[in-house]
This record gives sequence, C-alpha cells and structure tokens, in this order.
Amino acid sequence: MTEQEIFDSVQEIFRTVFDDTDIVLTREMTSADIEDWDSLEQINLLVAIEKRFNIKFQLQDVKDLPDVGAMLDLVKRMVA
Amino acid sequence: MPYTYLITGATSDVGAALIRRVFQPGDTVIAQGAGDLARLDELVPLCGDALHRYNVDLTSETALEAFLQEVQVNFGCPTHIIHLPALRVINTKFRNFDEQRFLLDFNVQVVSALRICKTFLPGMMKAKFGRVLFMLTDYIIGVPPKNTTAYIVAKNALRGLARSLATEAAPSGVTVNSVAPYMMETKFLSDTPDLVVQASAAANPMGRNARVSDVVPAMAFLLSDEAGFISGAELPVNGGARY
Repeated sequence: MTEQEIFDSVQEIFRTVFDDTDIVLTREMTSADIEDWDSLEQINLLVAIEKRFNIKFQLQDVKDLPDVGAMLDLVKRMVA
Repeated sequence: MPYTYLITGATSDVGAALIRRVFQPGDTVIAQGAGDLARLDELVPLCGDALHRYNVDLTSETALEAFLQEVQVNFGCPTHIIHLPALRVINTKFRNFDEQRFLLDFNVQVVSALRICKTFLPGMMKAKFGRVLFMLTDYIIGVPPKNTTAYIVAKNALRGLARSLATEAAPSGVTVNSVAPYMMETKFLSDTPDLVVQASAAANPMGRNARVSDVVPAMAFLLSDEAGFISGAELPVNGGARY
C-alpha cells in the first residue's frame, strides 16, 4: 500500500467520522483544527482506521499522537 | 426463609455470578435468557432442580406475557426481582439514531421491567417483603458520554421506573434499588473495540474497568435482608469515576 493510498483512506475516514466531506487532511493538522475532534472522536478515528487497514493499536501507542502526520506514519509502519 | 429469585438477563456474566452468590438451598431461581440458556449449565450442580430456565425473547410482548403467566402459575410471586437485560451499546452520533433498534432495546430494558413489576409488585407489597433490583450504568451520573443516546434514554427510563416504584412500594417494606457500574468487562462488550475498552480503563481513577466481581457483591447487598431500609438507591460501582 502506497503512502498516498494510506493518506486517501485516512482522509476518507476523517470525512466519515466528522461527517464533513470538505475536510482536506494535512500532516500538520491537529485536534485543534477540527472542532469535534476530542478524545472520544480520536478513539472513533483510530477504531475506524483499525478496521480499514486490518490492524490493531495498543492504547499506549496511540495516546500521544501529536498530529495527523504521526497517525499516518504509525499506520504506514503497521501495514508495512 | 426460602426465596424465589426471578432474574431476567440471567445468562449474562453478571446474572450467572449473582445466582452463584445468592443461592441458598431451598431457594428457587427463575432464570430468563434469550437463546443462550446453555450458559447456565454451570449452575446445575449448585442449584439442581431449583433452577428453572426460560428462553424468552423480551422484544416480543406475547412471549413476555406467556412467560409471566407461567411464572405466576408455577411459582406464585417471587420475593426477589433482578432485571439485567439490555441490547449491546451502539456508539453512534444522534443523526444516525436507529429508532427501530432503540425501540427493541426499550422493550427489552424498560417495557419488560414495567410488565414484570406490574405483574408481581402488588403481590410483593401484599406479602410485606420484596427486593427489586435494576441494572443501570454509571453513565446516568452527571454528564452522559457522547454518541450513546439510545442507551442513555433507555437507562434513564429504567431509572425513572425504579424511583417511582421505590416511592410507591416503600410503605410495604419492598425495596427497589439499582446498581450503576462503570464499563464492565464481560461478554456484553463483545462488539466493543479493544481500544475503546482500554481507553475506558485508562480514564478511570482506579485505572481499570469494572469486573463482575466488583458489581455482584454490591447487588447481593442490595438484595439482602439487611438492606431493608435502603430503597431508591442508585449505587455507583465505578472506581470513583463519577458521583
């Protein structure tokens, strides 16, 4: 799976979770950039990512993800 | 004095553990499950013939009525009613609220409790003794979590029923109480992603989710003879998460 494919899928997940087709993901994006992005939605995002890529996160690996870039890198490592 | 326990949702992890905890020789246990009665096989060595298992789909009014009639004919009025059943919690935004599923859950949790109490509470009150216990959730304390509207509405309806019945039954010595546990690690969570379960444990002041062994003793206490002056209580079993 290419980096672009991962990016596109994660962007789609963000659009679904936040019900906003206008979301354009950037690596620098953080929870401050999306109004509804709180700790609960963070879990919802991660669970949707788990399902989409058929991977399993541990809470300790995902609790301090600083931005979308870190999230994408983690997915990339796990699907590699 | 031998007791007659009517337990709905008895095939849950909590139901089976509660029977194990409270059963005494001479007691009668009427245990309702829905398609999973084999779960109670483990109790046969303990309870023997005193365990009566009923397969009843609580979403069906006809099935519930037939069940209650049969209980009444065979056992008369129970001394203890424990109502545990609920459909699995679905985390979803309100815009995706599934009304049909909500109504099914409402039947299982609330309407069945209403019917059971309507059938047996008058008998309990006449007997001047009885214990009624409902399974709530600590989500009812304070601000509820997001995305759980269906569950919150049903549990608060059940809570309203418990409170109303507690008031009405108190003069006769019948108590109506509830337990309000934190997320409990049981097979009820089978559809809940691990990450959600882990996050819930991490968010608890005691760093873990509730266990059956935390909740069952609290229930046993509220059902006991010595809890006779406690009614209308909603006992949190949640590691101090909300109060």
